[in-house]
Formats: sequence, C-alpha cells, structure tokens
Amino acid sequence: MTIDRARFEQGLTYAAYKAQMTRNLDRVEENERRVQLRPEDIAAFRGLPRPLNVVVLAEDWCGDVIANLPVLGRLAQESGRLNLRVFLRDQNDDLMQRYLNQGKYKSIPVFVFFDESFRELGHWIERPASVTELRAERRRGIFAAHPEFGAPDAPVDQLPEDVRGRLQAELQKMRDDTASFANAEVVREIRDLVTRVAA
Amino acid sequence: MTGAPPKVKITYCAECGYEPQTLELARALMLEFGSRLSAIELIPWDSGAFEVSVDGQLVHSMRRDGGFPDNNMIKKAVRAHLTA
Repeated sequence: MTIDRARFEQGLTYAAYKAQMTRNLDRVEENERRVQLRPEDIAAFRGLPRPLNVVVLAEDWCGDVIANLPVLGRLAQESGRLNLRVFLRDQNDDLMQRYLNQGKYKSIPVFVFFDESFRELGHWIERPASVTELRAERRRGIFAAHPEFGAPDAPVDQLPEDVRGRLQAELQKMRDDTASFANAEVVREIRDLVTRVAA
Repeated sequence: MTGAPPKVKITYCAECGYEPQTLELARALMLEFGSRLSAIELIPWDSGAFEVSVDGQLVHSMRRDGGFPDNNMIKKAVRAHLTA
C-alpha cells in the first residue's frame, strides 16, 4: 500500500485525533505544556525548504504515544512546517505492517516523513534508544537502592501490595524526572532526521 | 480439592493496550472455575509485562515465554492447583 495524498488526507489532524481520544487526553496536554523547545530547534524546522507531510501511527492507550506525539504536535504547531495526519494503528494494519519495529513489533508512535510528492524521506519509531538506555539504568538503580523491591526481572505480583505500590511510585517518579531529557532527545532525533533528508 | 482455592494474578502492561487479552483471560477463568478460585487479581503495570501466576507460581511470562498465553494452558495450570 503506497501512501498518496488521497490516503494521507484520510488521516486525522492532530486536533481531530485529540478530540476522538477516549483516555489520557490530560496526560497528552500536560506533555504538550511541558515540552521545552529551544529557539534553534524551532528555527531549524521553520527553515525547512518546504513543508513536510507526516503520517503518524498512534493509539490513545500507548505510553510512548502519550509521551512523544505531543512533542511532534508542538513542533508542528510552532514551526508551521509539519502537516500531520494521525492513523489509528489497529484500524490501519496495512500502514503498520510497513513500519514494524525490527521487522516484527507493532511499536508506536511511528512518524513517517514525506515530501510534497509523497516520496518517503524517513521514519521514526517509538522512542529514542538513549531514553530506553537511561531509564533502564535508572531502573536498575532503583532496585539496587531498594532491596525490598526484589530483582528487576522478578514478577511484581510476588511483592506485597504496599511494596508494589512504592515501587510503582518510584518508577513513575523516575519517568517524570527523565521526561525533559526524553523530550529533548525526541526533538533532537526528529530534527536530525528531517534536516538531513529535506535539505 | 485438598487445599485452599487457588488465586490467579494477571499482571499486564497498562501502557501497551493489553486490556483485551487480560479481560479475555479473566473471563475465561471466571466462566471455567467460578467459585473454585479464591480470587483473580488484575495488576496494571508497565514495561510490556504480561504475567500470570497461580498461587504464586509463574505459569506464563511474556518476557520469558514470548507472546500472550494460550488460555487453555492457563486453565490447565489452574486445574493442577485445584487437584494438588
């Protein structure tokens, strides 16, 4: 299935996607507010020689979509150079099959960048590897500092409920503490991608 | 059954859209075993988890075993605890 303008226009605008969300809209909008875009990043996107069309694969339950789609949304809003259309993953499997993570995982979000003639310029999947690595390191640190949490790979259902609750709180705090880094990495990777291919 | 009714815990990644599989398994166990289970506990988690334990014994882990479990395999594990 190739993507042409007709198919592209079948997608939801970012505003329409948010309007049809059945959950997590508050988290998406909080992330939109939290994203800090540097002037040089906005300038890089505004300096694109022509606007890009961006196909987004998403679902409203996905944590990585909740975290990372608002970054792209803000970049589109601030730059005026990214024309987003969002497709729900589970209703558009033909698109999803083209962008499987490692050829097998239906990881989202997926951002696919096209020029005005719908030639594909590149795509981005899920989250930056640097974010995965940092959070894995922090996660190991949490378990090292709290022997009561057991082994990092042990089933959490073995933990007493109060301990499990404390672990959940520690992990959430870690995600919050690393959110600024994560957002900056998403901006950096997307900026690198689009400025490299759209020049 | 000689011991206490078994308890099943299903830990699922709530950030991964695994609710349908979780509810399908819970429903299958409810319909199959009814009050012969002491409880079915659903634990929302993250990191791609989908784990099922019966009386504290891990019978399926997505990380260890890959994918979602065959519900019949989970029922078989519960039956083994019922007759233990």
